Amino acid sequence: MKKFIALLLALLMLPVLPVMAESAEMIVVYAQVPDTWAYPCAWSWNAAGENAFAAWPGDMMEPDAKNPGWYYIYVPAGMESVIINANDGAVQTAEVKIDKQNAWITVMEDGAFEAAFEQKTEGDIPAYAWRYTVWAKVDPSWEAPCIWAWADPAGTNAFAAWPGKAMKANENGWYCAMVPEWCNSVIINANGGTVQTADLKDLDPADLWITVGADAAAEITYEDPNAPVAEDITVYAKVPADWEAPCLWAWSHPDGTNAFTAWPGEALTAGEDGWYAITAPGWINSVIINANGGTVQTADLRVEAGADLYVTVVSAEEAAVAYEKPAE
Amino acid sequence: MRKVFALLLMICLIFTMTGCSRKENTASGPVTITVWHDKEDAVIAVLEEAVKPLRPDINVVFEKKSGMTESLKLVGNDKNAAPEMYFFAHDKIGVYAEMGVIAPITDFVDVSEQAGYVPITVRGAAYKGKIYQMPLYFETLLFMYNKKYMKEADIPATTEQLYGYMERKTKYGHYGFVEQHSTPYYAAGWIHGFGGSILSEDGKPGLNAPETVKALAYHKKFVDYMPGETEYATVNTLFTEGMAHATIAGPWFIPTVRAAGIDVGIAPMPIVDETGLPLAPYSGVQGLHVLKVHAETKKAPITAVLTTLMQPEVSNKLAKVSGCAPALESCYAQDDVKNDVLIMAMRSTAETAVPMPNTPELDVMWTVAGSLLTDVNMSGYEVQTAADSAQKKALELIEAMK
Repeated sequence: MKKFIALLLALLMLPVLPVMAESAEMIVVYAQVPDTWAYPCAWSWNAAGENAFAAWPGDMMEPDAKNPGWYYIYVPAGMESVIINANDGAVQTAEVKIDKQNAWITVMEDGAFEAAFEQKTEGDIPAYAWRYTVWAKVDPSWEAPCIWAWADPAGTNAFAAWPGKAMKANENGWYCAMVPEWCNSVIINANGGTVQTADLKDLDPADLWITVGADAAAEITYEDPNAPVAEDITVYAKVPADWEAPCLWAWSHPDGTNAFTAWPGEALTAGEDGWYAITAPGWINSVIINANGGTVQTADLRVEAGADLYVTVVSAEEAAVAYEKPAE
Repeated sequence: MRKVFALLLMICLIFTMTGCSRKENTASGPVTITVWHDKEDAVIAVLEEAVKPLRPDINVVFEKKSGMTESLKLVGNDKNAAPEMYFFAHDKIGVYAEMGVIAPITDFVDVSEQAGYVPITVRGAAYKGKIYQMPLYFETLLFMYNKKYMKEADIPATTEQLYGYMERKTKYGHYGFVEQHSTPYYAAGWIHGFGGSILSEDGKPGLNAPETVKALAYHKKFVDYMPGETEYATVNTLFTEGMAHATIAGPWFIPTVRAAGIDVGIAPMPIVDETGLPLAPYSGVQGLHVLKVHAETKKAPITAVLTTLMQPEVSNKLAKVSGCAPALESCYAQDDVKNDVLIMAMRSTAETAVPMPNTPELDVMWTVAGSLLTDVNMSGYEVQTAADSAQKKALELIEAMK
């Protein structure tokens, strides 16, 4: 009899388990915002000082196709407070206490809000999916760009209908939109879907930047092209007398990009003051001084990027790095 | 019941030891056994707990020693300065055996496959037909992948599948696979996968052997899809920052990977299509070694300590805190070991892994093999020419060492 009751209980629990498992890790925050609130975002945190997102104004909320006017976002289940904001953070609510629960927040034009903790939207809540950001810079003739995303070869689409989700314009000239991690293919389109790139397939679920020309050709990178670029630097080196024709080998840690094509790197030029010198890209942050055709060398020397270097080599085992010329 | 029996045995052993120490004309009273080591606190805590029951007759002191391997060369034969034992990897066994610093471990306890040790650990502990180490745990490199990028169906079973994946996924600043391609410890797996070797078990360099040359030439096409500079920190950061889909690294890397929020998977090493052999990395076996200078005078207490530490429970606990695999086969019947994906992957890799050579010649091989890999992978030298030159250099250095 006990076994029967246990079995019955287990069967009754079955439909509930996925929801419990989901809610154990993430909660959903819904917001209904005025039409003037464009691209609403959520910022969320808890009393322990943990933030759900890396930087203000937080992540963009997703429109719920089944509930026009409502946007949603998932945050970790430990979050206690949220601020709904929009227009690049220019408008926002005050702190909304959600206390680790699913919440439905109705926002007024002036930022006032009403929060409810019982579902106010129709139908199922969309399943949680981690999202990545696609950035696009398009030719000026491409207006109001949108993104279309899908899983290839399954053919599952992320958005309800072509031309897909409108991309948000940013001050740096790049448009952006977030897509679910299961999408590995996108198309950037514009002008109401009348111009578009080819299918951009086999992408990783990671932030990516796409530059689109007037001819719809697309260049893709996972590296932020807006990241600051360091100017060239000069590397000076003083080496032992038996180190002939010293060379610089330099690279960027951690990506491993080399400044020079092949070991032992580029030769330094002897200066009158006893220091050898060479110009190197400012982004290098790791160097080796070597000599005698690369047969003697220092250890890997980790250095500050973007600053001139003075490397005093005493031996293969001993070398000192300075950022100002050492006193003689 | 077993515990009572073990306790009785231990008491008998201690009585025997006390008797022996008188016969051996050593000082009366408690005996101190010093063990030098280079391990983290959590590992040593397990050992300290295990030897507590030996007190007060035997007091075991674990002493963390910086520069331990050099210190052993200097004072290993000095009974006033040398410890009774040291806890380290197996690869220095040849050096210390040749110097007469260490005694065969089988003078104290049975270390063999018949005694329940994983075969690779016994191979690692052997030098010129004698066993010098009581293995506690071992590690092997593992094939790791980021589950967000590499799906189940994409996990490469063969090196050609891995190459195809790299061709497809190395683009836009991401890498399909990265490894320390020009570091001998990591490149050795490829060389073994072709049947070659950096150094044979009897201390002969194999840098220009046809199998090694073939491996280097084949490996180069993979290197072309990796960053030019692949030192330890670069490779690890590429993986932890989500810029690389897969890598080969040691179990010690796992905590860092998990802390970075990477959902990491472990897969078997790919099989080289041409040879049918898997990439076979080196394996390191960590264990206890006895110094010859104390072997006779403190045989009984040393035996008691070793007997205590060779129990499967100790090996199990060590595996947990070190993230490595137990040296005793019986541990793999335990549920907590069986359910540990990482440990079981190492146990599986151990079937084909190669114990790091423990001959003295290994010391000179790291530099020479490293230069060869740099020449081939980064400077574009012709493989056979570079390998011939490296082999010549290795032989010269070994001769000079003798």
